[in-house]
Amino acid sequence: MGKANKGLRLAAVGAVAALALAACGGGGSSSSSGGGEPTTGGTLYYLTNAEQFDQIDPQRIYTGEDLAFFNGTIYRTLTAYKFSPDAAEGTSIVADLATDTGTATNGGKTWAFTIRDGATFQDGSPVTCADVAYGTSRTFATDVITGGPTYAISMLDIPTLEDGSSAYKGPYTGEGQELFDKAVTCSADGKTITFNLSRPVPDFNYTVTLTAFAPVPKASDTGEKYGDAPVSSGPYKIESNKNGKGGKMVMVRNDKWDPASDDYRKAYPDSWEVDYGLDVKVIDQRLITSSGNDANALANGVEPEQLGVIYKSATEANPEFAGRAISELDPYVRYLAINVQKVPNLKIRQAIAVALDRDALRKNAGGDFAGDYADGVIKPNMGVDYAPSGMWDSLLGGKIPDAGDPALAKKLIAESGEAAPTITFDYPQSPTADKAAAIVVDSLGKAGITAKPNPIEPGQYYGVVFDPEQAHELINAGWGPDWPNASTIIPELFTPTGGFNLSQYDNAEFNAAVEAAKIEPDRAKQAKMWQDLNTLAMKDVVVVPTRFGREQRIVGKQIGPVYLWPAYGSWPYGEMYAVQQ
Amino acid sequence: MSAYVVRRVISMIILLLLLTLVVFILFSLLPADPARLTCGKGCTPAVLEANRHKLGFDLPVLQQYWEFMKGLFIGRIYAADSPDPVVCNAPCLGYSFKRGEEVLVLIKDRLPATVWLALGAFILWLAAGISVGVYAALRRGRWQDKTVMGISLAGYSLPSFFLGLMAIFFIVIRLQLLPYPSYVSPFEDPIQFFQTMLLPWIVLAILYAAFYMRLTRNQMLEVLGEDYIRTARAKGLPERIVIRKHALRAGLTPIVTAAGLDLAGLLGGAIITESIFSLPGLGSLAVNSVNDADLPVIVGITLVTATFIIVANLIVDLLYAVIDPRVRLVS
Amino acid sequence: MTEISNVQRPFLEVSDLAVQFPTEDGIVHAVDGVSFSIERGQTLAIVGESGSGKSVTAQAVMGLINKRNADVSGQAIFDGEDLVAMSDEGLRKLRGSKMAMIFQDPMSSLHPFYRIGDQLTEAVNAHHKVSKADARERAIEMLHKVGIPLPAKRFDDYPHQFSGGMRQRVMIAMALINSPSLLIADEPTTALDVTVQAQIIELISQLQQEFDTAVILITHDLGIVAEVADEVAVMYGARIVERGSVDDIFYHPQMPYTLGLLASVPRLNEVRSDRLDPIPGNPPSPIRLPAGCVFNPRCAHQDQVADDLCRTVRPALQNVGPAHQVRCHLPATERQAAADLTLSLLGRPGR
Repeated sequence: MGKANKGLRLAAVGAVAALALAACGGGGSSSSSGGGEPTTGGTLYYLTNAEQFDQIDPQRIYTGEDLAFFNGTIYRTLTAYKFSPDAAEGTSIVADLATDTGTATNGGKTWAFTIRDGATFQDGSPVTCADVAYGTSRTFATDVITGGPTYAISMLDIPTLEDGSSAYKGPYTGEGQELFDKAVTCSADGKTITFNLSRPVPDFNYTVTLTAFAPVPKASDTGEKYGDAPVSSGPYKIESNKNGKGGKMVMVRNDKWDPASDDYRKAYPDSWEVDYGLDVKVIDQRLITSSGNDANALANGVEPEQLGVIYKSATEANPEFAGRAISELDPYVRYLAINVQKVPNLKIRQAIAVALDRDALRKNAGGDFAGDYADGVIKPNMGVDYAPSGMWDSLLGGKIPDAGDPALAKKLIAESGEAAPTITFDYPQSPTADKAAAIVVDSLGKAGITAKPNPIEPGQYYGVVFDPEQAHELINAGWGPDWPNASTIIPELFTPTGGFNLSQYDNAEFNAAVEAAKIEPDRAKQAKMWQDLNTLAMKDVVVVPTRFGREQRIVGKQIGPVYLWPAYGSWPYGEMYAVQQ
Repeated sequence: MSAYVVRRVISMIILLLLLTLVVFILFSLLPADPARLTCGKGCTPAVLEANRHKLGFDLPVLQQYWEFMKGLFIGRIYAADSPDPVVCNAPCLGYSFKRGEEVLVLIKDRLPATVWLALGAFILWLAAGISVGVYAALRRGRWQDKTVMGISLAGYSLPSFFLGLMAIFFIVIRLQLLPYPSYVSPFEDPIQFFQTMLLPWIVLAILYAAFYMRLTRNQMLEVLGEDYIRTARAKGLPERIVIRKHALRAGLTPIVTAAGLDLAGLLGGAIITESIFSLPGLGSLAVNSVNDADLPVIVGITLVTATFIIVANLIVDLLYAVIDPRVRLVS
Repeated sequence: MTEISNVQRPFLEVSDLAVQFPTEDGIVHAVDGVSFSIERGQTLAIVGESGSGKSVTAQAVMGLINKRNADVSGQAIFDGEDLVAMSDEGLRKLRGSKMAMIFQDPMSSLHPFYRIGDQLTEAVNAHHKVSKADARERAIEMLHKVGIPLPAKRFDDYPHQFSGGMRQRVMIAMALINSPSLLIADEPTTALDVTVQAQIIELISQLQQEFDTAVILITHDLGIVAEVADEVAVMYGARIVERGSVDDIFYHPQMPYTLGLLASVPRLNEVRSDRLDPIPGNPPSPIRLPAGCVFNPRCAHQDQVADDLCRTVRPALQNVGPAHQVRCHLPATERQAAADLTLSLLGRPGR
């Protein structure tokens, strides 16, 4: 659920390798801190402004923080990310429900996982291949199971109909069930599940970390309402859940969970309590004061006005908050998408990028605390997939100052053979965004480009800008990857089949290179391909990247470990503990 | 009198009908597509279209309005031609597909907290505002009056989020005099209810009382100069009767107007106070729904809030007649 | 019983009454050393222009002056008790029972929101422990007495359902409902039609006889004074400038201000308009009362007084008849000459 006012609705899971730069402010780079040694027992409190989780249904969860929370507490998945603050380690996978991290055959088109012995649901019944297959099949019921990731649909070897939808309509109608049963098969002993994919997916064992591939016992499925009473396979179960302000979710131990079957989750606390609908300022104050139960509390963000209280700088906390405050790169890249259908002339796009005052934009967003200058859509905390694109050093014909170069922009417009353009800038309205829009208008204006701000109600923003009829030339956006592979960035943002192609970019050569990269089995080679595609997109100025976002979080005095888990850019819920007094 | 009430109620209903129409048209003019809300990242045009149809957003605005009206009086069935239709019985204020709940249920869920908050604060601020206002008026120009008016000016100009945060920081977080606010029904746990509501009541009451102090004081000063107050004193009535019975009642009319409208306004939700004290009220529902472009909920809340305000207006007008017999003659 | 008790004191004796209101502009001398007395059954008229201090004098006697806002000094011995020194509660108990007051504007003197019956019974209940029915009966009886037709029916009406004259009758009924021995009527007819005025005055006189009430009638209407008053006190600039019987004031006036008042009375049979002779100039500001005689800035006779006395020395109230006093520096002969001239102009015989 994350912070309510993050501004981004889409863009989901963060696979984030912590930056080399000293990781977190308060010594969060060590895996345990703040509260001392891990102890069993107590209650951990999760304070949130949100009035409910977006989704609790495993097949519908699609927010990084929620995936981390529910994966760490009630939903086991075939594989899972390792708990570690380390960039590489924290984005590597380990076996969870499966005995290992899966076996690929058929050139990466067939993946098999064997389910561990002793894994059970909260009623004590064993988790079988059929449960995982059934859970996976729910994704296909797109009219019931809405909001979740649809990788099962796009990757499994099930034919599509003329309208682009899958021939399998999910378990509720049963239409095309035989197609699914062919794509996902179970061994005779019910232990091994095999996924037959339509194309090679070298990192499919990362894909199945998503709770969309978590098991669901068919008998307990209530369709749309399943999230109201989901069946746990993890160390906790939901005892009660009341949404809304003043409401709370209480999770208690699932006594049918066998620690022997799960060497992944630590399950330290006896219970979890999620307190909904708290005012963000009140959350900050409670965590800063950290008295009573708040010593065992955590939250997902800090309001700007408290940053000065907690931090010495964007990378270091004040002594009294050492060990319980972190400041890390978040999963998101902020950028302005340029609609290439409306701005087809490359020189004009270059002029826009060159003229933009990224320095003022970053300061407006909060300066160092808000993040670093971005040079592409892949962030340094993506690990192997990141390489500097050179966007501001050479791609645009030379070094571009952070505050923009209006003279060069004017020159580029002159070379374009077109008159200085008049463009409209779409952005979700907020006081900060209004100021940012003024900066965009002003800095483009200095280069002779007339920009008109078009503020849009935040809740309706993506509905508007995804409508080709309504979207304008320049579109404010942000994106984070679904897992630590740029396959969840480059194709989404820059190909016609991507889900977030605000630029309406459709370059045949580029598309072909993307398809090749997607199925490249050699991870190192694939990383190089993504790096090149990132550079290519920047060279074509499909988007103007402005900022690699950074976020700050604090927890109470008696909780650990305190680090941002690179896998999801979240707390490492599955190994958190309350320090007993 | 009763004919007058009937007339007023009829015009009230017409007004509400017009209002829903206006809200409908306004929201249909918004660029957002409410159907998109029901459809996540992997949304296909087909699913979008299906959801749009299910929600009834594929109909012309006026027909949507007609469906809404039908739902209000005889109930309606969403997606009647699909395998899983949603039945919404009369009075159906709509169905929020975003929240998967009938709008009426959503509002009913949120209404108690809002009503308790508004009523408690209302009683507090009227009691404090009027008594302090009278006190100041009786000590006009002296230090008590000046102190009270100074404080009321401060209360008047304090933003509610500031007052609310200060209250929660000092009383709950620092001094731990009260537990963290967590709303429960007064019938379920009266102690926790009062512990939760006390601060929000006081915070809201302070904000409103400031205005009522000034209003009452000025009204009282005006009324105390009236001839009939001198008559009351000349009759030898005790001063408290002169003040309470003769002066206060005469000064009550503008206070009743303001109080009625303020209460009605609060019944639409006190957004900031609800947020700070985590109260599950209408205000936050309204804000979230606007952010989500959840049209059915917005229309429902608008209708309910407007009903409160219009009913409050009617009650205020009827109260006038109770207070001032001269009004009865006119009506 | 001591000898002193045999000394008959007047029913109400006001002596050296002064009322001052401190304001931001200075001290307002609303009443400045006023003395008079009245017996039961008698009528004392206090006449003078607006702002002369008549109403404040009456309100001071009634205890209606808020002592927080004003300094009241002097004495007002009413039936043996000093009203000036009395506690608020003591005064309250007297108000509406032993002493009552009627005000100038009956339109605004009744509470618009309460039935007149309730307002009447409230006056009864403020002083007597009686049943609701008894209070109602008494109120209806009084309404009947003051000439309200169908009193039992009108009992439940609101003030706005009555005419001005009827409202003043209600006010009188309210004032007299507890049979007070002192009634102060502050310009009771000013706001009413001429025809109604006579009825109201007649009603007051009639009830005065019935209850043997002492009446202080405050007015600027000399016609009414002539009709009902036994004694007259003329007030000007917060002081009594002349006091005497009706005959004294109308037929033997001494003070130039009294003469001016008499001369300014419009008369129905007046032919020549120039005979209407208002006093030139304006009444003095109560904040800056003139030194010496308060009337001196407007007095046509001050040059007839030696040594500029009128502007420097405050004249004492001197006896000019058995119960006739005047506050003036003019020598007796000069005063007489001025009075004769005025009276002859008015077509009345002088002394």
